[in-house]
Amino acid sequence: MSEEYDIVVVGAGAAGLSAAYVAAQAGCSVAVVDSNERPGGQYHRKSAEDSAYVPAGCANPWVWNSIDMRSATTAYAVAKTDHGFTVHLRGPDLDRGGIPIIAKVHARVMIVATGAHDRHLPVPGWDIPGVMAGGGAQSLIKGSGIVPGARTVVAGTGPFLLAVAQTIIDAGGEVVAVVEAHRVKSFLSPTLLLAAPSKAGQLGHFAKTFARHRVPYLLGHRVRAVHGGAQVESVTISKVDDHWRAIPGTDRELKADTLAIGYGFTAHTDLLVQVGCRMTEFTDGGLAVSVDDDQHTSVPGVFAAGETTGVGGVDLAEVEGLLAGAGAARWLDKQPRLSNERSLNRKRWRLRTFAEKLGEVFRLRDGWQQDVSDETIVCRCEEITAGSIRDAITDLGATDARSVKLLTRAGMGWCQGRICGLAVDSLCPIPPTIAAKTAAAARPLTVPVSLGALGSERGEEK
Amino acid sequence: MSEVMFTLDGTPQRATAGVTIAAALISVGVRSWRTTRVEGRPRGLFCGMGACFDCLITVNDQPNIRACLVVIQDGDVVQKQKGTGYE
Repeated sequence: MSEEYDIVVVGAGAAGLSAAYVAAQAGCSVAVVDSNERPGGQYHRKSAEDSAYVPAGCANPWVWNSIDMRSATTAYAVAKTDHGFTVHLRGPDLDRGGIPIIAKVHARVMIVATGAHDRHLPVPGWDIPGVMAGGGAQSLIKGSGIVPGARTVVAGTGPFLLAVAQTIIDAGGEVVAVVEAHRVKSFLSPTLLLAAPSKAGQLGHFAKTFARHRVPYLLGHRVRAVHGGAQVESVTISKVDDHWRAIPGTDRELKADTLAIGYGFTAHTDLLVQVGCRMTEFTDGGLAVSVDDDQHTSVPGVFAAGETTGVGGVDLAEVEGLLAGAGAARWLDKQPRLSNERSLNRKRWRLRTFAEKLGEVFRLRDGWQQDVSDETIVCRCEEITAGSIRDAITDLGATDARSVKLLTRAGMGWCQGRICGLAVDSLCPIPPTIAAKTAAAARPLTVPVSLGALGSERGEEK
Repeated sequence: MSEVMFTLDGTPQRATAGVTIAAALISVGVRSWRTTRVEGRPRGLFCGMGACFDCLITVNDQPNIRACLVVIQDGDVVQKQKGTGYE
């Protein structure tokens, strides 16, 4: 199965749907590919009964009907062709019929809006069931209305923790505490508050909820260990200094059955790296793709919007999506019908400045490494401990994540280093260059594809 | 809200229609449904969005299904998974 479009959009979150709408409205033929069963992405994840997310100003049902929506489908690889790109698609994990297991689409333009997942730092006990990503806890509630546990500690760094706690409380769950590794002065940074006054109102809303439900917001604290066997029973938290090193004598144990944790986000840049887009380091230390005013990357015909251009949240993703759709349509000599492009442009720069400042303020510190005992699992897929990684460095002379990977298998499992990559980098003596980070994000297949499935594609070509 | 019926290791269970397999399991009090290849450690939902592959499970005899992505359907036969799922 293979079809041709003007534009293929990868990702049906705020950025992808906005881009798809604007491009389709301008007269482009558009396909949207998304790995979830329902569109909306992470922020606008909906339950089966909710009405679908529609970006602001994108209300014409005729435009939506013209878009070929391919849900439960993952773009696992992209290749350049003479006329654009071939995007290779894989159906859902579980074949129930109806969605092709393997397919491809050809398009002159690709818009990558693949979003991000929570960024993680290992801690002893972090693989005990009941420890989950903050975004994972939130998506469980948004997608199904199910609260992940009876008593949840929300921990890590960044303002997203507040949103996670709010979501849990709104759904009727109990939040024991919100544990933020940075101190209060980070939050009250005047540059931060001046960059986005509207965010101050949001903070006020969180503060009110926390006061009403007596949820302590513990700044300058970090979870140092998770305890339990078959599931989480408690966590040890401690006060930390500016480098996130635990201050002796400040340990405290919190009873909880769930730990929702996250230290910012890692963007899904795989497809952008596959086609050779120029990458940069965002202010939060993560990998991001460089784009121009039209959200055009360094590779002609490849546009990007949302977290892949630097983690900035849903409002920025939507604006970038609208502008990417317009930029892509123009690049195909179509006239986008965005009436407010100039004000969107201003909004984008304002939100991006805010995102950059946020990334700087909540940058990761190294003190967490002291708590990672040799027995602590770092690579969850291959079950590689910090001790084996340290041995590879001290005894076998590994200097970077790549050599550690070759010696220990850390980062070689199902997730391809998405979860442990940052931690392995941090444990290595030589910090990774952008080139090294880009190389680590160069995954030839973004998800596993069976040989049988690949074989069926070849069979079709005959 | 409509419901679907599924079995977990042979025991009949109910879930709200339209939720993921992970949500269906957590809603009936099951928080881990896989043991790891090397040390047999229990695992369940972690990233919740298809990136980490921790929540793998066997459904309708097909192993290594990401429970966080696939929506449960009436009659699904769900089995906790050991190791690679082919053991």
